[in-house]
Amino acid sequence: MIPENIILSENKKELTLEYGATKSVMSAEFLRVNSPSAEVKGHSPAQKKTVSGKRAVSINSIELVGNYAIKLIFDDGHATGIYTWQYLQELFKGKDKIWKDYISELRKKGLNRD
Amino acid sequence: MSDIKTLAIEKLNELNPEYPELIEDIVVANKKIYLSLKTDKAKVDKFTKIKLQIEKELAAIDGIDSVSVSLTSHSDAIQAKAIPQENASGVSEVRNIISVASGKGGVGKSTTSINLAIAINQLGFSVGLLDADVYGPSIPKLVGDRQKPKKSKAGKILPIKKYNISLMSIGFLVPEDSPMIWRGPMVISAVNQMLNDVEWGKLDYLVVDMPPGTGDVQLTMAQRVPMSGAVIVSTPQDLALIDARKGIEMFKKVNIPILGIIENMSTFICPNCKNESHIFGFEGAKLEANNQKVDFLGDIPLEIDLRECSDNGKPIILSKTDSVVSKKFLEIAKSVTKKVGDESSSSKPNIIIN
Ligand SMILES: Nc1ncnc2c1ncn2[C@@H]1O[C@H](COP(=O)(O)OP(=O)(O)OP(=O)(O)O)[C@@H](O)[C@H]1O
Ligand SMILES: [Mg+2]
Repeated sequence: MIPENIILSENKKELTLEYGATKSVMSAEFLRVNSPSAEVKGHSPAQKKTVSGKRAVSINSIELVGNYAIKLIFDDGHATGIYTWQYLQELFKGKDKIWKDYISELRKKGLNRD
Repeated sequence: MSDIKTLAIEKLNELNPEYPELIEDIVVANKKIYLSLKTDKAKVDKFTKIKLQIEKELAAIDGIDSVSVSLTSHSDAIQAKAIPQENASGVSEVRNIISVASGKGGVGKSTTSINLAIAINQLGFSVGLLDADVYGPSIPKLVGDRQKPKKSKAGKILPIKKYNISLMSIGFLVPEDSPMIWRGPMVISAVNQMLNDVEWGKLDYLVVDMPPGTGDVQLTMAQRVPMSGAVIVSTPQDLALIDARKGIEMFKKVNIPILGIIENMSTFICPNCKNESHIFGFEGAKLEANNQKVDFLGDIPLEIDLRECSDNGKPIILSKTDSVVSKKFLEIAKSVTKKVGDESSSSKPNIIIN
């Protein structure tokens, strides 16, 4: 599903996708650490990198990619993540679990959000 | 990265000491500068000039490929820094891009593209036609023209104007007899060149004649430009339909709406006895359209005149206006433009940056 509006909050730390009456809201940090780029995801699950220290990250700009995705450009220079509408929906649906897993992964690896 | 930023701001200062104060935001990424400027809505004309001036100046910075300046005004924050479609600068003033595709070769994409483009123009729209088939371009032959394109003052390639359509094809850019051996990256850059370096200007529709299949060119197009939709051409034959299905699948994956299927060479009308015969099977594409839940846009009979007109560089829709085929193309143009009107309002998200 294609959102009607994609809204970046004033402090640039929160992205809202509006689909009619439903909304999904995700933080820049959440989107950054779950970037679908090969550089983060690797080419297999085993290669997935844990991105840490992104509590303060914000989104500088948003580009449409064709009709199927957006590219988010973060202020830490990360600009290779192409987020398809489908991926954004999956992220939003699984938000709580993905976040919990992320936090425990950070802990396991001795990393943190700052 | 950050010194480019500083350099850019210095350049702005040199141009006019007031410009740096207008900067809302400046981002440098992937060899591009994105700049948003505070704008006074009442002075749009002035700001548009400033924008062009700045884009030109900043593009001259070493290590920068392109510059995108957006004008923002605070009463309407809409689309402030939204950077639509990276790269495809030549088509920025094109309202709707529709591609004519098929999974299989030789089903009549090019024939359909040129006649459809002219038909849409006859409905009162300004139309361009991009021949994306860099392996086997057909448009120069279909319009009987091989002039070399001229360059604009800004150094961009000007489309060839023929039959009131703006045309571009790799066939205009390279000599006819030179071998067309394109490998992947070259194909992509040829397509990119036709999107970026050609001054398409303001157009209501840009029809894109695709190469057969579902390869690189299709994907590049899907990523580089916001397409309003795709028209799939198919013959009623089963094999072609399997390929058509692949074409449909591909467009679905990248979220490009399928405007519908055109069945080409659907029937043969005997020039002597005027009897119709279904040489390639009966209404196969129509049934397939139903199965796939996409619209059926119409059928074009197999018509010797159609091929002859094409071979002579004078599309049938212009040379035999009263023929069944010409009328069918006009009907299809009507459905396509109507569908695009319905789809385009809903399919492009607004990017709002507060
Ligand atoms: N309805 C028709 N009646 C008669 N001839 C036709 C018809 N449609 C197409 N043709 C002829 O069939 C041949 C192939 O058509 P065309 O070049 O348009 O196909 P294409 O799908 O663009 O091919 P390619 O995949 O090679 O790009 C041409 O000679 C054309 O004149
Ligand atoms: Mg062709």
